[in-house]
Amino acid sequence: MSGRRVLAVAALALAGVVALAGCAPIPRDPDGTLDRVTGGQLRVGATPAEGLVEIADGSVSGPLVDIVEGFAEQHDARAVWTIGSEEDLVYDIEQGTLDMAIGGMTDKTPWTIAVGVTRGYPELDPGAAPVVMFVPLGENGFLSALEGYLDHEVATTGGAG
Amino acid sequence: MKTLGRTDLPVEQQQALRKAIHWEWFTICYTIVTIGLIALVVSGSQAMRTAWIEDMLSLVPQVSFLIALLVIRKPPTHKHPYGLHRAMGIGHLVAGVALLVIGGNLAIESVISLIKGEHPTIGTVNLFGYTIWLGWLMVTVMSVIIIGPFIYGPAKAKLAPKLHNKVLFADADMAKADWTTNVASIVGVLGVGLGVWWLDGAAALFISIGIAWDGFKNCRSAILDLMDQRALTHDDKAPHPLLGEIVRQLEAQPWVESAAVRMRDMGQVFHVEAFVVPRRRKVATDRIEEARRAVVAMDWKVQDVVIVIVPTLPDEAVSSVAKAG
Repeated sequence: MSGRRVLAVAALALAGVVALAGCAPIPRDPDGTLDRVTGGQLRVGATPAEGLVEIADGSVSGPLVDIVEGFAEQHDARAVWTIGSEEDLVYDIEQGTLDMAIGGMTDKTPWTIAVGVTRGYPELDPGAAPVVMFVPLGENGFLSALEGYLDHEVATTGGAG
Repeated sequence: MKTLGRTDLPVEQQQALRKAIHWEWFTICYTIVTIGLIALVVSGSQAMRTAWIEDMLSLVPQVSFLIALLVIRKPPTHKHPYGLHRAMGIGHLVAGVALLVIGGNLAIESVISLIKGEHPTIGTVNLFGYTIWLGWLMVTVMSVIIIGPFIYGPAKAKLAPKLHNKVLFADADMAKADWTTNVASIVGVLGVGLGVWWLDGAAALFISIGIAWDGFKNCRSAILDLMDQRALTHDDKAPHPLLGEIVRQLEAQPWVESAAVRMRDMGQVFHVEAFVVPRRRKVATDRIEEARRAVVAMDWKVQDVVIVIVPTLPDEAVSSVAKAG
């Protein structure tokens, strides 16, 4: 019974904290990615994917790149690009040297144990599998901000296609 | 259902059994709905996943109760001279082992993820054009489905002693503690929302230890009964009072010098071997039959009674009310 009481007290305490933190956004990042990015740098990894991310002479372009640039702008951040293979990018996210990665990743990605994955957006690549982006594991504030932006983009422009 | 093997159920028990069956079906339907609801929001929270698996496991006692009921109603045969009452004990054991193994497994998993520092990832959903953090939906679902066990838990707890059914009792007992699972998973998810990643794993660990502990208690109770320990009350708290009452009933017969019983729980009903030392060397079979009928008339649970005439009482049998306590 005492265990249950402790639990009930813990729940009440947590509810209190949530109420106190009412104006602060939930979810938050355990490692503060969104705070760091805002007004600073958004470190993005890119891997080539036809029609989504084009890479020529070390510079990136394409519909997904435009979306990420827009997301960075929304948070007063400058996007800094790194080009690599999907595995390299996943490793960099795990090591904390990248904030996110884009490319031809879909909602069938097997990388879910290593990185956080956004919802699938079929509108970003019509006719193909829903497109996802990679973020660090557990950075739920950053993930939610990105998904919110993607939802907004898809709803207003009808996606990249 | 009016009979259990050779046992004719009194009206009160018939009604209780009918109600118990209804409540078990109600619980199964309710649980299937909650499993479906949690499936919609489970996402990357380990606490939610553990609560989800607990919900699935909680079906095992109900299903084994209903299956065992189909089996134990069959009367004894040459092949199964004691009837098939043990089916209830086997169901009890199966439920216990399932809870113990899976609960232990989940506990190990959550410890590993805590040690590795795995940060649970919970994203958003798009509902009617709004982007909502999935954690809020988890909290909503877990707060809504907390209600069910408060309805069916006490209902079953009231029926279990009437039917002397340990599966039903264990089931009710688990339902009573079910709300702690919901509260723990809510704490875990809100912790993740506040950026305290380890609260999710800690909540998962708390829930899985609860599952394993339930499993351990059920296994112990089922195994002890299957190994023919002295019959206990439905909650395993004390020796069953019928032990002493039967001895008193037998010793009240004028031809009986002293009496003792060995009584085991077959699961719902008892098997009684009564040892009787007569005052004289000769006993009429009518008298023995009379004594047997008197015992059988005492309680619906004691229908399978044998009376053995012996020169001295065996040590291991319960011979006095004092010992029975």
